[in-house]
Amino acid sequence: MQPEDVSKPLEAALPAGLSDPERWMELYGDYLFKYALMRLRDTAKAEDAVQETFLAALKGGRSFAGRSAEKSWLVGILKNKIYDNFRKASRETLFTDLEFYADEDSDRFVADGLGKGGWIHELGPQDWPEPGANLDNEAFWKAYRDCAAKLPKNVAAVFNLREVDGVESKEVCALLNISENNLWVMLHRARMALRRCLETNWFGKNT
Amino acid sequence: MPFVKKITDAIQSGCKALSPNCQEATRLQSEALDKKLPFPKRVGLWLHLLICKWCRRYGKQIRFLRGAARQCPDHLTGAVPQTLSPEARERIRQRLQSEK
Repeated sequence: MQPEDVSKPLEAALPAGLSDPERWMELYGDYLFKYALMRLRDTAKAEDAVQETFLAALKGGRSFAGRSAEKSWLVGILKNKIYDNFRKASRETLFTDLEFYADEDSDRFVADGLGKGGWIHELGPQDWPEPGANLDNEAFWKAYRDCAAKLPKNVAAVFNLREVDGVESKEVCALLNISENNLWVMLHRARMALRRCLETNWFGKNT
Repeated sequence: MPFVKKITDAIQSGCKALSPNCQEATRLQSEALDKKLPFPKRVGLWLHLLICKWCRRYGKQIRFLRGAARQCPDHLTGAVPQTLSPEARERIRQRLQSEK
């Protein structure tokens, strides 16, 4: 039998608007891998997640009814694979991290006396003029990514779910098996560290 | 007297909620991104922000960082430097082939 014949039933099953699975790797392989790697921080797990996504997409081709673009359809599948990964990992490892940034920038606040807990003025947040103007700048996103990549793995998991993917607090807690209080502490420290890092590495240099 | 103690404790914690310092205000502004703050804390934070430009900046900045990431997740993902290795590509391709 010729190879074309083997692939025919599959192609016939694919709804219009969906490209040949042979091309998925070229079109979306790297994007999906980056997406998974940023969130899982593990090359082997990210590769597996991409593979499972393509396999699930191949089987579930019918569920793609052209409702969304092919890429976001695949990302939706990948997202679920990533959540499965977190769910599984949370049964074995502790996602709570109360060590990271435990001093919460205390070097930038008055240590005692009348102004205790106030910003030391010259170390307080600087003015970021027109931050929105950076959103199309690739170098800004590289700086953002580099700062986020400095967060420890578990803090990054929380940060990505909540701040990037917009998952509700309660769902993040259920997914990672952490308490809401610990979630808030981790998010606060992640935001604080990220803000400081970007001020040093981007806004302080480019304004 | 436990009753009196309860009242003085309540007044104290109420006063504390109404006058957060900057360090506490950073925490509150972060918490406010994830839940509705209880009323006394909300008022306290609001009063603090009226008089503190550093904390106003801080709040604006953490909200900007969230908004930027949520608005442009593709930019952030795209900034990841690694790509699929040729070996992984081949492995996945073969696995897909075997499914057909």
